[in-house]
Amino acid sequence: MIHPLLPNQLQKTQETMRMAAEFILRPISRKYDKAEHEPPVEMEQLNQAAAAQKESTVGDDSVKSMDLKGRNLWAVISLEQMCWGDVGLFLARPGTGLGNAAIMAVGNPDQKSQWGKRWASMAITEPAAGSDSKNISTTAVLDGDEWVINGEKIYVTDGDRCDCVVVWATLNKALGKTAIRSFIVEKGTPGFSVARLEKKLGIRASDTATLIFDNCRIPRENLLGGKEEVETDIDAAKKSFGGAMQTFDNTRPMVAGMAIGLGQAALDMTKALLAEEGYEDSYGTSMGQQTAIQYELEMLEAELEAARLLVYKSAWMMDNKMPNSKEASMGKAKAGRIGNKISLKCVEICSMQGFSEDHLLEKFSRDSKILDIFEGTQQIQQLIVARQVLGKSSAELK
Amino acid sequence: MQDYKTEQPFDITMSEDQQMTWDMLMKFAETEMRPNARDTEALGRPEKALMEKMQALELISLIIPEEYDGMGLEQDAVSQALALEALAYGDLSLAMSLSVPLFTAKIISEHGSEEQKQTFLKPYCSQSLFHVALGMNNASAMGNPLNSSVLVEEDSAELILNGTKAGIAYASEASSFLIAATNSSGETNLYFVDHESEGLDIIAKEYMGLKGLPLSDITFSNCKIKTSQKLGGHNYSMNFQQLLDSSRIGMSALALGVCQAVLDYVVPYTNERVAFDEPISNRQSVAFLVADMAIEIEALRLMVHKAAALKDLGADFHRQASLTYRFAAHHGMKIGTDGVQLLGGHGFTHEHPVELWYRNLRAIGIFEGGAGV
Repeated sequence: MIHPLLPNQLQKTQETMRMAAEFILRPISRKYDKAEHEPPVEMEQLNQAAAAQKESTVGDDSVKSMDLKGRNLWAVISLEQMCWGDVGLFLARPGTGLGNAAIMAVGNPDQKSQWGKRWASMAITEPAAGSDSKNISTTAVLDGDEWVINGEKIYVTDGDRCDCVVVWATLNKALGKTAIRSFIVEKGTPGFSVARLEKKLGIRASDTATLIFDNCRIPRENLLGGKEEVETDIDAAKKSFGGAMQTFDNTRPMVAGMAIGLGQAALDMTKALLAEEGYEDSYGTSMGQQTAIQYELEMLEAELEAARLLVYKSAWMMDNKMPNSKEASMGKAKAGRIGNKISLKCVEICSMQGFSEDHLLEKFSRDSKILDIFEGTQQIQQLIVARQVLGKSSAELK
Repeated sequence: MQDYKTEQPFDITMSEDQQMTWDMLMKFAETEMRPNARDTEALGRPEKALMEKMQALELISLIIPEEYDGMGLEQDAVSQALALEALAYGDLSLAMSLSVPLFTAKIISEHGSEEQKQTFLKPYCSQSLFHVALGMNNASAMGNPLNSSVLVEEDSAELILNGTKAGIAYASEASSFLIAATNSSGETNLYFVDHESEGLDIIAKEYMGLKGLPLSDITFSNCKIKTSQKLGGHNYSMNFQQLLDSSRIGMSALALGVCQAVLDYVVPYTNERVAFDEPISNRQSVAFLVADMAIEIEALRLMVHKAAALKDLGADFHRQASLTYRFAAHHGMKIGTDGVQLLGGHGFTHEHPVELWYRNLRAIGIFEGGAGV
């Protein structure tokens, strides 16, 4: 039955997460925007709140009746609310990083039990390889019972504070994407060091590290999914890289959810500021009746609602084990650009108050930019959607 | 922050019934409506044989209660939105030749007095579609959509109408009009006006789009009607905002069908059209326009379904309906103009349907009361 509405239970989750965001994240939002690179110690509180909420929600019968307990839709909704509080702080919460998603998606049972509860970041991007992750140069060579990793990774979220890193490396660069594997490297392994932390436009609460691997030796069993040798069978090889890329189908709805939370935060704050000067919503009236601000905000709200539904759909598809690559990219494309557009427009609408560090609107508008970049840029999402809609290969539509 | 209550899980799959109706209407849209879109425009209305086929779908008698000779199968708003999308996938003018009387019948069924239902609902079940013409569109641009450009004086034993309504479908066929008018307290209601009444002037109009749907303006000059001609009876007062919101979900569902038609047309076209030795869709500047179309269409579909689902729940759907129609107006027109753009000069000519969809999509965001859920 077509019913794109959230059941009561999930709406309660929204409320709880929103409270946590409002009372735990918001009060320290500006503090860690200013104190870049300082670990936000208050975030442990949020983890505890989230754990309690998850236990009570996922254990609930009404949610159980949904396929796979609606785990992904639950996660998107939770993320959305937390990022209504603060995206940077959410990314900086200790315990889970993108690497954890990869371990849960492609790890074997032993790896899941050994590493599943450790804080794992994800290292893919290199100075010379961003969106074209198949072009990475970090190498992994099997030497006896150890892999030897060499290379440089940049923009690793949680790269400094995590317990371990999921590192993408090639077994043989000449063989292209078929030779790419991911490995789990524990913090403190000799040859593995954090070179520096970036200073950024936004999400300053979250650490973004450059990692160096210099003859870093890790156990053979730390190869995450995939085979130790490069497949010669082309189909098997394609599947192997495709498997790695599939992690994105799972994580894109989450990042898109973050953009929606941020967009909502900007709209809410804008309306609150404007209300002090007499602003009221005017849904459904004519252009002739609305002020430019009312018109603009109604349109932005419509766009946000549209993005939200796309993202919920892509998460719901995951919960129901439907292939969701196109939908995940649709949601990420829409949410990424709209989150950015809303937050920038809200600064403009609120004029000097928007531009001022007295309020968080200017911060939202800096934080939002990364959400249209990481986990696949706007343009990458459009490429993925376009290829699927037009039925094109990556060779045809570059 | 909870603004509606439901125990139902999030879901976006059609029920079996919805799927069956959908398949049937989509086939009808593709085989009977789409091929006749141009001829319908040229004629200014559906050809008789086609209109009979559309009538044979029995979409209207379906929702009319049994005591007025209908089948009495009440349709939920989501199912109605699906039906509207499918019909508009064929052609918007043709779809509205059904959706306008369907909406009119629904309004009378929900708000009419017993006598009005007897008089006006029964004919729908015996081959009549256009005996009541609905007047919702205002002649003025700046006004509040909740206020009609026709005013009604209610303080005497009779009612007196003054002003002009625009874009009334099948006005010359109708024996009665159902006209939105605002009284001196600012309340807007609907009023039945006989075609034969004195003080009304019907003028056929041409518009840039919806040319397959005969549209007229009606001007009322001291047109007198009986107090019992108010929809629901002389003491009745309707929630006009809700009517407008229902109409806006309906219009958005129609827009969705047209947008999907555009996408399904430009995909094979841009894949086949070769320039500089390869299909134009191999280039990002073309492919990304198509990708964005697909994204906004899927988003619009979810917006329409959510608004309709909220209505079915009995929750407040004013905000959602408003946002949905705003979204449909903005992105519908963007898709319409990109559809022509992607075909270049070919898109500008009558050789392809994209210029027709472009013109029709301009009605979205403007037209009120062209469909409802």
